[in-house]
Amino acid sequence: MNRTLSIISKRLGSLVVTLAVMSFIIFMLVEIMPGDVAQMILGQSATDEAVAALREARGLNDPVLQRYFRWVGGVVTGDLGDSIYMQGVSINSILWRKVGHSMILALAAFIIFVPLSMFFGVLAGVKENKPTDSIISFFGLATMALPEFVSGVFLITIFGVQLKWLPIVSVIPIGESLFSNLEILVMPAISVTFVMFGYVSRMQRSSMIQVMHSDYIRAAVLKGMPRKYVIFRHALKNALLPTITIIGMNMGWLFGGLVVVETLFGYPGMGSLLMTAIKTRDVPLIEACVLLITVIFSLSTMLTDILYSYLDPRVRLQGGQK
Amino acid sequence: MKRKALLVFLIVALVALPIFSGGGKEVKSTEKVIRIAEQVPGLITPGVWDGQVFSMNSSMYEYLVEINVETGELNPVLATEWSTVDGSQWIFKLRQGVKFHDGSDFTSADVKFSLERTQDPKIGHLKKQDFSIMSSIETPDDYTVIINLKEKRPTFVYLFTDYNMAMLSSEYDYANLGESKPMGTGPFMLSQYIPKESVSMVKNPNYWDASLPKLDKILIYFVGDIDASVSMLEADRVDVVPFLTPVIKSRLSKIEGLSVISPYQEQRFVAMNVDMKPWDDNNARLALKYAVDPQILAKSVTQMDLGAGAEYNETPIMNMLAEYKDIPLRGRDIEKAKALLTEAGYPNGVKVELYYASDHPFGKEFAQTIKELAAPAGIDFDLKGYTRDVYLSQYWLNVPTSITGWGGRIDPSMLLALAFKGDGPWNESHLNNPKVNTLIEKITGESDAAKRLEYYHDLQDVFYEEGALLNLQVPYLVGINDRVIDYKQPLTMLPQYKYTDIK
Repeated sequence: MNRTLSIISKRLGSLVVTLAVMSFIIFMLVEIMPGDVAQMILGQSATDEAVAALREARGLNDPVLQRYFRWVGGVVTGDLGDSIYMQGVSINSILWRKVGHSMILALAAFIIFVPLSMFFGVLAGVKENKPTDSIISFFGLATMALPEFVSGVFLITIFGVQLKWLPIVSVIPIGESLFSNLEILVMPAISVTFVMFGYVSRMQRSSMIQVMHSDYIRAAVLKGMPRKYVIFRHALKNALLPTITIIGMNMGWLFGGLVVVETLFGYPGMGSLLMTAIKTRDVPLIEACVLLITVIFSLSTMLTDILYSYLDPRVRLQGGQK
Repeated sequence: MKRKALLVFLIVALVALPIFSGGGKEVKSTEKVIRIAEQVPGLITPGVWDGQVFSMNSSMYEYLVEINVETGELNPVLATEWSTVDGSQWIFKLRQGVKFHDGSDFTSADVKFSLERTQDPKIGHLKKQDFSIMSSIETPDDYTVIINLKEKRPTFVYLFTDYNMAMLSSEYDYANLGESKPMGTGPFMLSQYIPKESVSMVKNPNYWDASLPKLDKILIYFVGDIDASVSMLEADRVDVVPFLTPVIKSRLSKIEGLSVISPYQEQRFVAMNVDMKPWDDNNARLALKYAVDPQILAKSVTQMDLGAGAEYNETPIMNMLAEYKDIPLRGRDIEKAKALLTEAGYPNGVKVELYYASDHPFGKEFAQTIKELAAPAGIDFDLKGYTRDVYLSQYWLNVPTSITGWGGRIDPSMLLALAFKGDGPWNESHLNNPKVNTLIEKITGESDAAKRLEYYHDLQDVFYEEGALLNLQVPYLVGINDRVIDYKQPLTMLPQYKYTDIK
């Protein structure tokens, strides 16, 4: 328990430092990007005077550090500020709705890819070097190599255009909720599954093979235990450890890194919001999105560590010895 | 074990059934609803609005006048009549009984507020320069506005067709609410606005014309990716998608039930900066003009033939306008181009930079085609493509050659003084030709329409011989579902959804 608390407190401490560094880097990176946000907003018809007026109104003429610390001050009190584009519209009102959408998509993908890839990873591991293993490994490699925009188009063509089973785009109809349109989640979730399946199933396969070749499993088999019992009661728990790490490490990507998938399917999540923010140089919005993704990355890594220490007594023991 | 498997199967089937049955889901309603997919907007408050969300703003706000798509004439909207004696004083009579969406009356005070707002330095109004010729605004009664100008401007009324000149309520806090709760007198009222995601608008029950609008609702999706928008059109999730490219047009043309229309054209200018080499010599400018084959240029850039969706000339006047003088195309003559370039002092050819906005429709295609066409004449363009904001903020107006997009103006004089007069703030080519300057002054100040037309023709002759401009007119493409009836969008770019109906 002490070990777990120690992990949590250390992680939270490093999270704060990471957030501070990340926010500063992002702020500066956007700052040194060529171009001008006021010019971008006003377009070609903008006179110098109009650009100057807009810069002044949005506080863009203040020194960069002043703007940064003003923004940090707001974040500390829970105010993420206003989008540069929308006076009077707080980022909080834009962001959290999209975060909710992304979380639902991530959950849908998680529900599909975790059991699927674990099952096939275990199957490939116990059928090592047999045709089943080869087929699963080949499929895993193929899906891993396919970028989301390729698998997405592939899915759209088959299930959307040809079979007409699923909507081509994942837009929530205006006036309706996501929950009454759950079908829009299927294709983006499968697209994410394609990417994750290869990683997770291959990791599961190799750890399963390693465990199955270990002495204690051999002893259990020689003792005459049924094969299924050995696999499910003795091998699986240990073989899950590396897989859990991989899944945990990718949770951050699942929540905030679905830029390509969300853009391709027109899904109104955080990834597509971040994409829009970057394209329009909406600094406060970029910062808010990136910070949130960093938090999710850090928290998911922390949860993975805690889960890992729970599942592997050796980790707990090492912590105790220290 | 079998029972467990059966249970799992049943659970999966129960979850999957509603999901997979949703593919062909359709909303059945007696309401007439049009669905639109548009770009994610920047600012939406008129005055500092760069033109995204045309559908939203043109439906929610209104203008004193509008362009009649069929005749090209001005239709009365919030102004019922207007008059001027010599162009220096304008009297507008306003429509009575018009109400803003918040229930307040539309009066001359609102017109005065909207006009004075153009000159407010805190706003940075994009029409500040155009309306700076106003010397005073009088409102003798609630429905009369008298605008006195510092100089004669016989076509002043056309300035009110600009998309940033919507009439706003003098009592509404646009500074803080314009971006979140926009409000005007238009045929549709805001119902729900989800920033960066969607807008829902409903018919204005108090609209001054009881027969309009024909639709009950307008639903607009803000979609960042044009391909996703097109997919929505193909999947019958939306009825209208603007800003299509020629490639997408070809794709959509093959799909039954969809059409791609071009309600108007935009301009793409190649500006040769006469303060820089080699364009300081008119022979070099003529060499480029002779090197260009307009038909190849149009076909390559727009995938359309000249006269069938694309147009070309060497003047600032669009071919579709009444002011255009039909000067025959000079025809491609590479030998003549080479001779002219030699005469300009470049017998071995010349390398020159060409800047353009690579993310602006037709920009990249235009730059690459011009480079290919000019090469045989010895003009070697060094292409410099940047994103539009970088191009506009860092290079535009200060480079040897540039390609810039310009919207059309129903009254071409609106652009002449700004972009083609020697002291114009957007004079890309830096041309300071006394003949051009004088003719532009005559055009903007002449009340006699016949004389004005004469000046326009003279101006085009000067540009043909001495100008520093190539003007390719490219189609603005909109994909629509065939159920949409009467989609109207004039040169002002503002769709007129109040006239639109849906089957």
